[in-house]
Amino acid sequence: MSTLTFHAISDADIAAARKRHPKAFGDPFVTTLKAASWAFIVVYLIWSLGFFEIGKLLNASDRAWALMTRMVIWQDMAGWQYANIYKGIAQTIAMAFLGTFLGTILALGLAFFAARNTMPVGVIRHGVRRLLDVFRGIDQIVWGLVFVRAVGLGPLAGVLAIFISDTGNLAKLYSEAIENIDRKQVEGVRATGADTGRIIRYGYLPQILPVFISLSLYSFESSTRSATILGLVGAGGIGMIIIERFRAGLFDQVAFVVLNVLVVIAIIDWGSGLIRKRFIGERGH
Amino acid sequence: MASITTNGPDNGADRDPVSVFEGHRAQMIRDRMVINVTLGVLFVAFLAWSVWISRFTPDRLATGIPRIFEYFGTVMPALQWDVLFDARNEAGRFPAGSIGYWYNDFWKYLRLIWETILMALTATILGTGLAVVLSFLAARNCTPYPWVGALARRFLEFCRGVPEILFALILVFAVGIGPLAGVLAITIHATGALGKLFSEVNENASMRPVDGMKAVGGSWFEQMRYGILPQVLPNFTSYALWRFEINVRASAVVGFVGAGGIGAELSHTISFYSDDRVTAVLLLVVLTVTIIDLLSERARHALIGKESLK
Repeated sequence: MSTLTFHAISDADIAAARKRHPKAFGDPFVTTLKAASWAFIVVYLIWSLGFFEIGKLLNASDRAWALMTRMVIWQDMAGWQYANIYKGIAQTIAMAFLGTFLGTILALGLAFFAARNTMPVGVIRHGVRRLLDVFRGIDQIVWGLVFVRAVGLGPLAGVLAIFISDTGNLAKLYSEAIENIDRKQVEGVRATGADTGRIIRYGYLPQILPVFISLSLYSFESSTRSATILGLVGAGGIGMIIIERFRAGLFDQVAFVVLNVLVVIAIIDWGSGLIRKRFIGERGH
Repeated sequence: MASITTNGPDNGADRDPVSVFEGHRAQMIRDRMVINVTLGVLFVAFLAWSVWISRFTPDRLATGIPRIFEYFGTVMPALQWDVLFDARNEAGRFPAGSIGYWYNDFWKYLRLIWETILMALTATILGTGLAVVLSFLAARNCTPYPWVGALARRFLEFCRGVPEILFALILVFAVGIGPLAGVLAITIHATGALGKLFSEVNENASMRPVDGMKAVGGSWFEQMRYGILPQVLPNFTSYALWRFEINVRASAVVGFVGAGGIGAELSHTISFYSDDRVTAVLLLVVLTVTIIDLLSERARHALIGKESLK
């Protein structure tokens, strides 16, 4: 009578199995490639951290600690000029709203020139598209700096910066929406002998308007976020107050302002979510 | 017809179904009008408030807009076709109107752009690594303890809520001027953004492999490593590549507050010169961003394509 014995799998068994089914243990080429890329990432990371002088972090601990404590411990809260802070936040929202509004209008016009089905002339279409690429390709804060240089410090530069970059973003998205519409409705309107204006009004707009509103709302949200930092280069809004007080070493006030901005942005996100649900339904975008 | 009694003051012809329908329709149109007019008035009021608050007045526009065109006129390069490709002359200078003259500091710009790309790459790798760890803690189905999950989610929210340039501003103060502050700032923001995306991917992963790992006695780490990670790794890679594109853009502007990269040169050029140097740097930045976008998009498509073929 033989007894049934259980034993753990030995290394020899694994080696035998590996020999019998080499592919089951991974393609050696792929394994090597994976290992090599991991090694590359690790080596790169170590090298680049050296390149960026990560050692500075060790010397920074005192300063960083002082900064942190001064951000957390709020002092002399009575003299923080709250009116100024909330005026700055209001200005940021106003800049974002105005910039997005103007951007929406221009984008609405340009989108029809950038969409394949409404602009058959290739030269104009590509010209408009490249222009939009430039608007989008340059960061909003760079536009802010450029407009500060052109028209001076203040919210006007910020509005223009938001206007330009929103135009670039929105016109591209709008033109994609126009390219995706249902042709039948347009043909139906055209068949009644409508002129171009009416074809756009009754053939295109009813189809793309919900998408437009949704995209514009998103754009307003993201512009509010970016408008908070436009002030760092002098283009108006709360950013100017942040950098002013940061330069003055009032870190507790900076922390307070940033917290306020985060709350305001959360409220705007929530509000525009409500509007989007109300007008476009759950499905819209 | 006294047998018809109504409970309202209206009777007779008004009870006819057509007029009931018409009345109802008119009422609906009126209601809608009221809502639309109210919203329209609110919108216009908000717009007017915005115009007032941001001082977007016609007189400021009238003085501002011509200056914009004037400014863009001064920063355009004055290239001349006949000397466009001319080399340095005897004095060691490029003739005015040539590309060499326009891009006199080309190698300096290139070195800074290289630094910018390295900053973005390092920040992407660090941010991805941190985000992977935090995403397992933050995902509702993976988190070892619910309070750890809630804490991790709040932390990620904070990291992505504060713009990177603000982090950069603070870090420049803490660690000094230079690319390190930029790398750390972008890492923090990327961690927040990627952590959220990664944890959503984790929440959509199948829990069966995890149950399997649990059944053979795997620890939490082993459950995540062998249960979840193989499912989500392709998505993680694709998101990380996409983040790299965004980080390149970000690292090009953190220099505005002294955090390294081409941004410092960009802001210096724009603030202090009003000539073709501005367009020279801007053009290089746009070109770099576009090339990185194209390469990364191709890589992402290759990655996703390969996955869907499997």
